Amino acid sequence: MRELGTHKENTWCSGCGNFGILTAVKKAITALVEDNIKLSNIAITCGIGCHGKIFDYLALSGIYGLHGRGTATAQGLKLANPKLHVISFGGDGDSLGEGLEHTLFAAKRNMDITLILFNNGTYGLTTGQFSPLSNNGYKGLSTPLGNIERPFRAIPLLLEAGASFVARGYSAKIDHLASLIQQAVLHKGFSLIEVMQPCVSYNNTYADLNNRVKMLEITPNEITQSVKLAADPEHVYLGIFYRQLLPVYHEELYQNANPVLDSLSHQQRLELLSK
Amino acid sequence: MTLSNKKVSSILIGGKAGEGVKKAAQVIAKVLLKQSYHVFQADDYQSLIKGGHNFSTISFATEPVYNAYNSADLLISFDKRSMETHWLDFSSSKSLHYYNDNDAKPDITNPPCTLIGYPLTALMKQIYSSPSNVSMAAIALFFVWMECSEAELESTIKQEFRYGIEDNIRFAKAVYRMALADAHLISESKPGLQANQAQANWRLTSGNQAIAMGAWLAGLDFYYGYPMTPASSILHYLALKMPSHKVYAIHAESELAVANMAIGSVVAGAKTAIGSSGGGFALMQEAFSLAGMAEIPLLCILVSRPGPATGVSTYTAQEDLPFALNQGHGDFTRIVAAPDSPERAFSLAAELLSLAWEFQNPVILLSDKHLSESSINAVFPLDVPFFQQTIPQQNKPYERYAVTDEGISPLLFPGSDFVDEDTVIKWNSHEHLPSGLRTDKAEPMIGMKDKRARKGSALNEATKHYQRIAIYGNSGTPVFAYGSSVLELREAQKYCSKPFVIIALVYLLPFPSEELEQYANSQIVVLEHSVNGNLATYLLQNMSLCIKHNILRYDGRAYDPHELAALLEEVL
Repeated sequence: MRELGTHKENTWCSGCGNFGILTAVKKAITALVEDNIKLSNIAITCGIGCHGKIFDYLALSGIYGLHGRGTATAQGLKLANPKLHVISFGGDGDSLGEGLEHTLFAAKRNMDITLILFNNGTYGLTTGQFSPLSNNGYKGLSTPLGNIERPFRAIPLLLEAGASFVARGYSAKIDHLASLIQQAVLHKGFSLIEVMQPCVSYNNTYADLNNRVKMLEITPNEITQSVKLAADPEHVYLGIFYRQLLPVYHEELYQNANPVLDSLSHQQRLELLSK
Repeated sequence: MTLSNKKVSSILIGGKAGEGVKKAAQVIAKVLLKQSYHVFQADDYQSLIKGGHNFSTISFATEPVYNAYNSADLLISFDKRSMETHWLDFSSSKSLHYYNDNDAKPDITNPPCTLIGYPLTALMKQIYSSPSNVSMAAIALFFVWMECSEAELESTIKQEFRYGIEDNIRFAKAVYRMALADAHLISESKPGLQANQAQANWRLTSGNQAIAMGAWLAGLDFYYGYPMTPASSILHYLALKMPSHKVYAIHAESELAVANMAIGSVVAGAKTAIGSSGGGFALMQEAFSLAGMAEIPLLCILVSRPGPATGVSTYTAQEDLPFALNQGHGDFTRIVAAPDSPERAFSLAAELLSLAWEFQNPVILLSDKHLSESSINAVFPLDVPFFQQTIPQQNKPYERYAVTDEGISPLLFPGSDFVDEDTVIKWNSHEHLPSGLRTDKAEPMIGMKDKRARKGSALNEATKHYQRIAIYGNSGTPVFAYGSSVLELREAQKYCSKPFVIIALVYLLPFPSEELEQYANSQIVVLEHSVNGNLATYLLQNMSLCIKHNILRYDGRAYDPHELAALLEEVL
């Protein structure tokens, strides 16, 4: 298999959780290729922020889009050519702040794409302001007295929105994360992986996470149990919280058609219009 | 008065929202079209679902009709409010006004034209077991007036309505027979005209339908929209065409989603369009810039209504010209063109989509409510361009933004049959290297900006292959306009005693300097629907002209042809 990296200089901070995620993504893609998925049928999208730089470090096709809109562009790609396995990378500010609507609607539609949510609990690239997932009391440049809001809980939120595969990984547990990504991409429907990721410069949570992470023993059958475990105050559970096969949007829209590959020719259009 | 000594005949139907005023007008327009009359149907409606007052007009003639008339030969009022509102909208004392005498009690001792009341409400109560439909009365009264048979009335209703057919036919026939018994009262008002040879290619088409079908013929695969009047009917129309025409119309969660999902679909190789009115279009600004930066071919349809902000939802305006010309932030080439008729809406949508793809650039089609939502008997010009994707020669490695002399880089799409495992296709919202990887270095930044500028020049040049202005009339003062104002002028031209030439700007950006050179330093009149005179200002920014008069209308309504003719006689 060809190289999955690029020659682009990596500009993440030394020790950033993103390195672990990048390695896990490459491992997952390698495993997917072994599962007979073609690299030419994989497309990636992202928003803007530290997470987005992964676009430059992966030799995969796709679009480096606008802040918050990575999930929207991902949906457009999937709808146009359902043959594509579309992976969208998003930050917590990106996917649950600026672009919250697209994230919720992608889940609501059970759009067959994968969202890898880089949850570092801060806005890294814009110098550490509080994010939608920052804890109450978090101090940043825009909240010097502490964050007076309470954070979203990504997994319960996306479960309620309709996501059919929901998991949580940790950037320091690379093989586990790679396996989650692989399963998420293979899952037919909207899949979310919340990746717990320390930001060494603004929100270094390594010690806390290392203390609190715990593997889920089984995937709960009941969604209420998934929500309870995802919101557990003591442990940061890792694993698959929910997995269900539900109708996917593009098949509800056009069954087995492929809009791009089956696009009507000029002649066919002329004939149809002349009827 | 008959049509034989009058150019255009008009029908006005008025009633409450929810009573089927527009549907009745559509059916009538279709019947007239089948009889080979040229028609122009306009709908005046409010932003509400039930109640209020809506009215539609259908003007028809044996020659083309370009605009709606405010006065009618046949008026049909379903309620008191319509009766009172349109009391004086008759074209002559011989006009005929039917009304619902269960509701309206007009002053029949001193009527301005022939008045005939029928107990429509009582009749409906008697006949309908299903929900009643007063619009049947309009169709029946029109059939009597046009001297069409009861059998034709029945077959028309069967063809045009899906629900409550039996009751609808019973009610329509009852009204028809009642009116037929009074035929002696209305003989003077009847149009009594032989129509032309049947025109098989005619279809009753609104501007928005024409835009949709023109883009579709040019290869449209996807349309993304979020409801906003007066652009919504593009979304509705294409959604209906989804199964038969293999075009996918998606109602997304917001205009931000619309624009960004559309861009995703283009990256996968789909010919895609988006549309909205001013407010929704404003929300697409950032994505529009993304399309400029990432070189995304995208047809963007802006259908204006009075603004700013929510403005007046269901009426017409042309105040978005500066907004359209300046869409998006940052340096890149913008193209803005405005159809001056439904036929042009069809050809221009196709032309613009093809230009977008040839030059990998976003383009704007600027329309307005009056053009987009009025319907005429159109013949679609089918000889429109179709951009055929060619498979680029693979100079390995593939570079999405390869620097070329013309500035146009080869296109490839992930998941297409022509892409091998080694090919990486990267589109980017950041400034980028030819490979599509992000850069902030000075030299490649200049290289990429120059590449896009070269492409932009070529795109501007390419618009010259198309008709960028249209001229109507032979002599007299040039009157400049764009969009539905051109339709207003063309109809007014029939009545104005002073001759004038209409200069319709089809392409607004790039400014069609070459074509307009012949008018340099001329004394001209400008007509537009804005308070600031945006078109006049824009013209003066681009060429030397003497603007004798800038006709400004900004009440959301189109001119009546006679009213505009009289106004032009004053200012020409």
